[in-house]
Amino acid sequence: MEQKYIRNFSIIAHIDHGKSTLADRILEVTNAISKREAKEQMLDNMDIERERGITIKLNTVRLNYNYNNHDYILNLIDTPGHVDFSYEVSRSLAASDGAILVVDATQGVEAQTIANMYLALDNNLTIIPVINKIDLPSADINKTKKELKEAFGFNDDEILLTSAKTGEGIKELVEAIIERVPSPDGDINKPLKSLIFDSLYDSYRGVLTLTRVVDGELKIGDTIKFMQTGSTYLVTEIFVYTPNFCKINSLKVGEVGYVVASIKTISDVKVGDTITLEKNPCDEALPGYKPIGQVVFTGLYPTETNKYNDLREALEKLKLNDGGFTFEPETSEALGFGFRCGFLGLLHMDVVEERLEREFNLNLIATSPSVVYQVLLTDGSNIMIDSPEKLPEPTKIKTISEPYIATNIFTPSEYIGSLMELCQNKRGIYKAIEYLTPERAIIHYELPLSEIVYDFFDKLKSISKGYASFDYELIGYKPSNLVKMDILVNGVKVDAMSTIIHKDFAYNRGRVVVESLKELIPRQMFVVPIQAAIGSKIIARSDIKAMRKDVLAKCYGGDVSRKKKLLEKQKEGKKRMKQIGNVDIPQEAFLTVLKGEE
Amino acid sequence: MVSSIYIHIPFCSNICSYCAFTKQFYNEKLVESYLKSLKKEIDENYKNELIKTIYIGGGTPSSLKINELKELFDILKIIKLAKEYEFTFEVNPENIDKEKLILLKENGVNRISMGVESTNLKLLNYLGRKHDFNLVKDKIKLIKELGFNNINVDLIYAIPNETIDDLKKDLDNIISLNVNHISTYSLMIEPHTILYINKEKNIDEEIDFEMYNLICNTLKENGFNHYEISNFSKFGYESHHNLVYWNNQEYYGFGLGASGYIDNIRYTNTNILNEYINNFKREEEILSLKDKISYELILGFRKINGINKNDFYDKYKIDIHEVYNIKELLEKEYLEENNTNIYIKYDKIYIENSILINFIGE
Repeated sequence: MEQKYIRNFSIIAHIDHGKSTLADRILEVTNAISKREAKEQMLDNMDIERERGITIKLNTVRLNYNYNNHDYILNLIDTPGHVDFSYEVSRSLAASDGAILVVDATQGVEAQTIANMYLALDNNLTIIPVINKIDLPSADINKTKKELKEAFGFNDDEILLTSAKTGEGIKELVEAIIERVPSPDGDINKPLKSLIFDSLYDSYRGVLTLTRVVDGELKIGDTIKFMQTGSTYLVTEIFVYTPNFCKINSLKVGEVGYVVASIKTISDVKVGDTITLEKNPCDEALPGYKPIGQVVFTGLYPTETNKYNDLREALEKLKLNDGGFTFEPETSEALGFGFRCGFLGLLHMDVVEERLEREFNLNLIATSPSVVYQVLLTDGSNIMIDSPEKLPEPTKIKTISEPYIATNIFTPSEYIGSLMELCQNKRGIYKAIEYLTPERAIIHYELPLSEIVYDFFDKLKSISKGYASFDYELIGYKPSNLVKMDILVNGVKVDAMSTIIHKDFAYNRGRVVVESLKELIPRQMFVVPIQAAIGSKIIARSDIKAMRKDVLAKCYGGDVSRKKKLLEKQKEGKKRMKQIGNVDIPQEAFLTVLKGEE
Repeated sequence: MVSSIYIHIPFCSNICSYCAFTKQFYNEKLVESYLKSLKKEIDENYKNELIKTIYIGGGTPSSLKINELKELFDILKIIKLAKEYEFTFEVNPENIDKEKLILLKENGVNRISMGVESTNLKLLNYLGRKHDFNLVKDKIKLIKELGFNNINVDLIYAIPNETIDDLKKDLDNIISLNVNHISTYSLMIEPHTILYINKEKNIDEEIDFEMYNLICNTLKENGFNHYEISNFSKFGYESHHNLVYWNNQEYYGFGLGASGYIDNIRYTNTNILNEYINNFKREEEILSLKDKISYELILGFRKINGINKNDFYDKYKIDIHEVYNIKELLEKEYLEENNTNIYIKYDKIYIENSILINFIGE
């Protein structure tokens, strides 16, 4: 296909604004699928995606469309909708030349509408604004138009109206893509230069590399070179997804497809790397992507300790097509062997946990999420800490800094007061309020990331009855009055229960933890003090009374076997507990602290 | 050598709300076939040993009619009693009478155990008992008049809503009966009982503990010897039969749901009446040396004087200090020893189980 008949585009939207349904309609209009074939939301092929209505993994579909007597190839490059996945958004946007910005006519512009819009502009994409769900009775087209104009400066006649449900406006949208999105530039005669923007693992074919050819041509039989890693491979197959895998012989400039080469493991493929030919390489690699940072960490442990290797395998497989998370082995006194995992954000963490449980059939225990702290030591050196257990002694610490985020909270005006109170309680620093319209505002706050990793999102949704949305970006580290709170059981520190917490909150949290442990740890043969401490200072204490009754009174009719059985049962129960400081601690007690439950 | 027999009579004229034992409503026809099966079991198993203790328990053995009791004693005629023996029969105040007592006396019963449980009408009602304390006094008087001088009464405490004062009154009343043996049980709400089904909750642990201390102190002040975790007796009136269990000695168990210990096997008969009558079934546990030592310890430490070190050595050819973690428990002062015996420290007996689980398994 000639370059001028190719269009590479993405669709971006706030979560639930109808992006995936819109994609399905585009597939229908271009005859890629029939209406009957269309399982709802064809592009979301993971269960979780379909259930949560979010798209996580990229999917690229090649579509054919005849317009003004010319055949066009339209490559729809799907993007995840959520802010956590902005890394994936940006890499799919880098493979596109245009983007459809979808806004729900009943909701208007929301937090991720703006976040995704800025990412698209960063990638110099042509934007086609679309107001979707116009068929709904509650659709307010005028208001949404006004918001689009005010927020981004679009003109009235640029904005398209669609209903992905009824199909209204879809044809016009497809034709607008052909008219407005530029065809790919690049030179077929230059040496091959092709961007890797995703990879996935297929159990039959092995590693599939998703690539967009920027210059030149890529053919079966070519020996290719990955410029970053320097490794070379023989191309054995090339596919496009239509949405069925179809074999083709080559990918020319501007085209997008899946390349199968003799690649052993997915980790050999670095997303953002440049493919060229071994014999005739290009001069310079593409800029690639800025490396991503994991901002939220949690410990993942198998519920059954013998599933550790299964968990490792599952993590390795997931990592194949999710470069966004990291994991390293970790041992917890309470939970045994597991992994410390880092995520791009909270939703990302949820999704990975859910995929592990669902796709790999694992039962997991997740510890309370934490962030990475920057610790300035008294000797002047800096260390990064992603788990309270790694924090040095207080005497060696000069300051602890924590990551802060700038958040934009989109909300109907009536919830502004309560949402500000929420931010205030989370140690937020007020910045500004902007009114998009008299009814809708954006609240700007700076918040410590650690305060939002736990229950901020749930609270935001419940305060605003589900209407507020938020988006955040990391703005760097700020020193905070943070302390490590230890829990001592019978005078012995339980490492797995330590937390890093703001000093002002420590007393309260300490009391809550100590009281709940008192309920969860069974009485022992002696009085057991439970203490919360900062360094050597005890900030909360509660005692578990000594066991008072542990006698099987009646040894009836000589039935001593029964008595023995009861003792055996009692012993089994004791065995399941962890002994620390001579005290038997059940797993629920650890979990309550590790999950931050109250 | 076996020298003890337990016989279970599973019938009751009334089902108590806390009872988790093998029992069922009295029914003439069932009693008839039950006694036949019991006879068969005894005839087939009893090997003519000289018997020193017999215990007829239930259920409610006294719920049997006089002719049924006669039949029961006929069945027991083949048992050879030693010169010195203890023969206990369990009775309930509401269905024991002069005629039955005379029959017991004639057939060699020399110890009566009465289920008094409480003397407080409110608590008796809660327990589903059908007597009052006046009836108890009358029946104890009658029992004594007929020449029984070895009498036990059972007392249940830690009943939901029971107060310390209620218990004090119970103790005073029971002491006033002037019997020579008292068994006290803290109420356990067990599965398959009316209380459990009604989701009744056990009394607070602290009150239970206070009550136990009150019982131990009061009974000791009144001349009772605390010789087993929940048993008290006047000097020389310990239950010889129960000591057989706690000394880990062998005994026959005959009847529905009865347990026995013969030739290294601990067995428990089926507790389903049909199975017992039609196709006799029982569960068996064959004991290794290790199992026997385990039982020796978990049973022996129920006694306040614990285990005799020499006897232990004679039986197992190993020093008791070398088994399980006896040494560690001595160091931690859960156990204590004197020249002859090793025992649970008296102020730790209320957490007996937590100590005994050390002697279970590996």
